Amino acid sequence: MAFNFNWSPLIADTDRVREMLTSSLNKSPKPPIIVDDIIVNELNLGSTPPELEILEVGDLAEDKFRGIFKMSYTGDAYLTLKTRVQANPLNTYLSTKPSFASPQPLAASSGLTIPLQITLSDIRLSGFVILVFSKQKGITLVFRNDPLESLKVSSTFDSIPFVRDYLQKTIESQLRVLFMEDLPAIIHRLSLRMFSPEHQSAETHDPSKANTDERAPIDPFASSAEQPTDSFGQPLEGGTLFSHDAPSETYASFSQKNLLRLAALTESQRTLSLFTPGMRDTVYRAWASSADKNDMSNGISTPLHRPTLSRIQSTLGSHSAFSSSAPSQASETPSVHSRPSLASFPSAPTVYSLGSTASRSRAGRKRKNRVVNLRKEKVEGDVSDMASVSSGYPESANPSATGSAEASFHEDAAAATREGEINTPPRSPKKKVGFQQSDTTRLGADSRRPVTPRNSTLAPPPDDDDQTPRASMYLPIPDEQKTPQKPEPRPSRQRLSRNQALPDRVKPPELPRSASDISLSNLPFSADGSSGGILEQAWMMKMANEIARKVAEEKVRRPAWRSDDEEGIGRRGGAEAPPAYVS
Amino acid sequence: MLEFMDYVLTAFHAQSRWNRDNSYASLTATAANLLDFPVPNGIRLHVSALSSANFASSYTLGSRGVVDGSLSYLYTSLGLSIPSRSSALHLGNLVQGYRHLAALQQPENLRLNEILRNGKKEERRDALLYGRLYLPTSSLEALYLRRISATRLLRLACVSDGTLPNGGSILAVLQNDFGKYSTEYLYSTDSSLIGARGLYNFGYDPRSPDKPSGRTPAHPWDHQGGRLSAGAEAYFSPMNKSGGISTGLRFTTLPIHTGFPYTMTLTINPLMGNLSSSYAVKAGPNLAFCSRFDFNVYSYESDVMIGMELWQRQQPSTEVSWANALLRSDWKRAEADPNGVLKARVDNHGKVGLLWECRVKELLVSLGAGFDLKKRERMLGNVGVEPASDPPDAIIFGAYSLQGSRKQIVAECGYNLASK
Repeated sequence: MAFNFNWSPLIADTDRVREMLTSSLNKSPKPPIIVDDIIVNELNLGSTPPELEILEVGDLAEDKFRGIFKMSYTGDAYLTLKTRVQANPLNTYLSTKPSFASPQPLAASSGLTIPLQITLSDIRLSGFVILVFSKQKGITLVFRNDPLESLKVSSTFDSIPFVRDYLQKTIESQLRVLFMEDLPAIIHRLSLRMFSPEHQSAETHDPSKANTDERAPIDPFASSAEQPTDSFGQPLEGGTLFSHDAPSETYASFSQKNLLRLAALTESQRTLSLFTPGMRDTVYRAWASSADKNDMSNGISTPLHRPTLSRIQSTLGSHSAFSSSAPSQASETPSVHSRPSLASFPSAPTVYSLGSTASRSRAGRKRKNRVVNLRKEKVEGDVSDMASVSSGYPESANPSATGSAEASFHEDAAAATREGEINTPPRSPKKKVGFQQSDTTRLGADSRRPVTPRNSTLAPPPDDDDQTPRASMYLPIPDEQKTPQKPEPRPSRQRLSRNQALPDRVKPPELPRSASDISLSNLPFSADGSSGGILEQAWMMKMANEIARKVAEEKVRRPAWRSDDEEGIGRRGGAEAPPAYVS
Repeated sequence: MLEFMDYVLTAFHAQSRWNRDNSYASLTATAANLLDFPVPNGIRLHVSALSSANFASSYTLGSRGVVDGSLSYLYTSLGLSIPSRSSALHLGNLVQGYRHLAALQQPENLRLNEILRNGKKEERRDALLYGRLYLPTSSLEALYLRRISATRLLRLACVSDGTLPNGGSILAVLQNDFGKYSTEYLYSTDSSLIGARGLYNFGYDPRSPDKPSGRTPAHPWDHQGGRLSAGAEAYFSPMNKSGGISTGLRFTTLPIHTGFPYTMTLTINPLMGNLSSSYAVKAGPNLAFCSRFDFNVYSYESDVMIGMELWQRQQPSTEVSWANALLRSDWKRAEADPNGVLKARVDNHGKVGLLWECRVKELLVSLGAGFDLKKRERMLGNVGVEPASDPPDAIIFGAYSLQGSRKQIVAECGYNLASK
């Protein structure tokens, strides 16, 4: 997935941003040295947009979006402020002191106000940004750390070095406070103003045009996340990702097929049937809220969560105490308890660390954890736990990956590096779902959870690049294994990264290929010669047929997939469907 | 109107013969009295008492915030002989208006303060202690005055407040008055501010007394009918690395001057480029005008303010009107006691201030209002009333007059639009 910034509309509508900045700058009590209001004179967003990297996409729905981005901005935006300052230090000093004990000078404290103009330029930002969008509540953008790296302050007092340095220091500190505290409020208000009166009209009227024009004037330093474009090249508004574009109509209403599939899924959960229908055009809502609360503690239960660097290390560390800590770490503790398979693989931690270190060393860059740990506890068997189920997927995949060959880890690591935006989490190699020894247990476990089909390889096929335990572990997705490098454009990948679509949907063009390639011999079952047996094979055949059917349908439905944004997916060779996002 | 404690302080200085006018800090006192009078904000009630000649207490209750108030106590080692009843207080002493400068004193004359102690003649060392506690804000003010010698006065002012840095500050001022000139040195613990002030009076030298009238002027500015004074001040704060200086000039007419008494001042702040000049004239026994012009040579900001003061005197009662008719016109008549004072000021930004101070039965009442003519929608800025009830049996009277005039106060509440 990639972001295309349509930077020009932001420049056009800066008046409102200026007003909001002015009011927020004057809201807090000013130091006595500033005697007049601070007015934003000029605000130019520059020509280069900030660079965004998606780290995590948490909550994805028609009316919700939540993601963590890494933003860096090295553009030429500048901001000019105008105010008046008091030039008599005795005046500012005495004005704040009680008059009883003040020397009360006769005229030595008379004031002299000097107009001051400050220009902030050469702004360098880099930091982690959490963007949360909800249709009802607007957009919230929060910086996780202090994003301001450097800043150049030039003012009318540049010829006086003392004043220049003092201004630089003071403004830098004030800007840091502004970024961390005031900016989310500004953007939230702007978004409320933008979306609430217009959403109703936007949905009734022509959506795409209206939204493109009424893009909210977001503060330049935080607008990075606001202008992603979807796979169709149309600029998406942050949050209105799916509601105003051409394909939005498909999302606007539930597809009957999906409803039937959901019903079938529910049924299969209840009856322990192994049938897991693939869902198309669905968004799996991972346990964003609960997962968010457990950054570290989800290390085991949701090992794919939070693949930020700090978290990677933390989860690595947590893996070392896998079996013991699994019950305590799992936010969805019930899920852990009810998955004895997790605890039954004490070697899994080593597997984790091995795979993760290998992958990390190989990758040399941060893995973006796009895989939602959908394997949540499915004992309750409600359909809404689809995401949770799939979020729990990796976990059960992990222990079963114990038997995976080390070589597969390396391959996975390599494959992961080949991936584009959609990367598997660093531990994904370990997550390779292997059916070597745990098939029965896995299957048994999975029978409780309708496994969301994902592009995971069940067994560690030698050329499987993406070891992400995807929902399709039961599906014969040998095409993923077969052509990991196939740079086929997968236009739906873009959406899938948010959508948790089925792998079959993701790579319809390959499915024919894959269908032809499907052979039981490629299945992990048969490769391992495990006790999967005939039952699994039959089931696999059934799933393969279904996948082929779905692919055909998908092809009919989506003829106009664009491929320019799918390079990441293409890089993965389309071997695997985009993993479900990590919550 | 002076608060009771300030009035006691003035009486202390007067009784210990300390010339407060002979200081650079009071160079523009007349203009400040006529133009910078404080308009009361909200309702504030003062009840004060002079329990004895050495002890005074005062309580205030105000309506700033929900309610605010203060307690203050004062002790002097010099027995003060001021009237203890508010009805007996001369309003002219309380209301600071046009200030006629007191005559300069010779340091030798201050020997009248000597007392006999242990058989030796010693100068009085009068001391004054004053403390004030503001209740809702829990801040404490304290003042210690000590007349170290005939020409030296030490003043320590402290403020203790939790919201201040370091919890408060102390200001120490050492004032020297030598008649012809005076100096002050001050030090404040808050940011270690050091300051010095000095004032020099041209012309009449009290150290060599001379009859002012009839003497040919020794030099151009030796105007016997008036006094020219020049002074300067300088402050420096090593902590803030900041400071300020200013210099000023004042010419005022002495009481022997024929014609309208007037006062002209000019103060300059060379660092900031501020010029301020004022002119005050007493147009009659009851009327005084003042105007002030400020100008900044760097920023070209300017300000003009005009003020006026009108006294209302008690009319002589009808019983003695026959005696008044017998008075010859050229006889000097004593001024009747003032009943009330009206002060007004207006500046070029359209801000108008009004203050009416009068005596109502046993209460001394100040009514004030501030207008802003430029803001059409919020013309009435602040309205306030400050009744002050003075000493002992006036406490009973205070209660009575509060009750009696409660509807007055309540009615004034209705006009209290924006008390802040």
